[in-house]
Amino acid sequence: MQISSTDIYSLVGLTSVIFLIAPLFLILYVISYNRKKRAHAEEKEGLRQSFENELLKTQMEVQEQTLQNVASELHDNIGQLLSLTTITLTSINISNTAKALEKIERAEQLTSRCIKELRQLTRLLYGKELISKGLKTAIGFELEWLNKTEIYQINFKNDNYEADPRQTENDIILFRLFQEIINNVIKHAKATTISVDLEQSEEGTQLIIADNGQGFIIDEKMKETNGMGLHTIQRRAAILGGKATYTSIPGKGTEVIIRIPKKI
Amino acid sequence: MASYFTINTIAEFVCLIASLFFLAKDKNPVWRLLIFYMLLNCGTEVAGIYMRVGLHLHNYPVYNLSLLAECGTVTFFFYYLFKAYKNVFPYLITWLVIFMAMYITELIINHMGQFLFYTASVMSIVFVLAALYFYYLMLMDEKYMRLSTYAPFWWVNGTLFFYFGSTACNIFFNYLIKDTHILFGNSIRYVVYSILNIILYSFWSYAFICRYLQRTYTPSSD
Repeated sequence: MQISSTDIYSLVGLTSVIFLIAPLFLILYVISYNRKKRAHAEEKEGLRQSFENELLKTQMEVQEQTLQNVASELHDNIGQLLSLTTITLTSINISNTAKALEKIERAEQLTSRCIKELRQLTRLLYGKELISKGLKTAIGFELEWLNKTEIYQINFKNDNYEADPRQTENDIILFRLFQEIINNVIKHAKATTISVDLEQSEEGTQLIIADNGQGFIIDEKMKETNGMGLHTIQRRAAILGGKATYTSIPGKGTEVIIRIPKKI
Repeated sequence: MASYFTINTIAEFVCLIASLFFLAKDKNPVWRLLIFYMLLNCGTEVAGIYMRVGLHLHNYPVYNLSLLAECGTVTFFFYYLFKAYKNVFPYLITWLVIFMAMYITELIINHMGQFLFYTASVMSIVFVLAALYFYYLMLMDEKYMRLSTYAPFWWVNGTLFFYFGSTACNIFFNYLIKDTHILFGNSIRYVVYSILNIILYSFWSYAFICRYLQRTYTPSSD
């Protein structure tokens, strides 16, 4: 059967129409893929911004916590020492030389203790710089300060931890999480022992904070609006791509495990 | 005189005006090159009509000659677009060598008396592949573009429509050469090419507008 010219012309016309529709769909596909790429980029940017906001907020909280610690140190310790020094000095009777010398010596001792305390306070004021020296140093210093109160028996294990300079941003948030948990222990736990275990593996960083306090029922605390900041702790751990897990037995104590994967 | 006012000449002329208006002050010489190309296209069309209607001669030589400018300009423009993503210089040289070899061979075989159909067909296929490759590079690129005003995208769209849409006409070229079929008073080949030209030059004109807007609204416009 021979194909007529008319058939060929119709075929050409039809094929041309199809050949015009094909690029049209291809272009529509490219446009739609590009839109998805844009949405993904915007989502990524949003996440980055929220991370930066959280980081800033955390830095401010660390600073606020440091100032609170300084204020309490000034009020409870240095203030007391200075008052005692003043009382000692004003009670000196020069005519009684032997007693006066003893009191001067006592005042000198108090002043030396005061200077020592102030030196420690200066270190506390440089809390932000401490984090730049590594999470281990910052946590260690915070625990050292807590140990001074002689209320708690502190155990700090950090043998498997090596500071990674690429993780500084993560460290700031993790340090703030640590502070938040320790605050909870001080405020609510009525504990006598605090154990902190800082570890690092191929997967990332793990921070375990355990106390022998009165514990609590997790579900109940989670339902509360402030909930001892448990939601904030979980949310911040999630921002770092990690997880915060609580285990608490009323009357026995609480354990918080924070696992943060390595930043790639 | 009426013979000179065809759909093709009007579409080309409108695009030439658009290129003159929107690209004349463009900082990039590659985009400015398109003004000359459009001018050459309009000249080719007018010369083709003059040879056919005025001198009653075959106008193949004019179109065969314009094939060189077409291949050169479109290839160079694609090269410029690809350069933003990767180096394709070796492919550019290879393609130009192949094209020239085909062009000269077909010209000798036809004794310069026919349109270089095979060379034009291969060139169409290569340009379709180049357009598809451009989309591929664009999709693979991490950053997204605001495509509604992205001039290279619309230039490539027009090019793809034209060269892909003309495939049917290229396949049946030998049949269509004797085409006497009447559709709206013209041959089917003429109708198809008129539609393709309108699409091509509309897209290109829009690309020129996008380029102009990009230049006007952003400090650096490369």
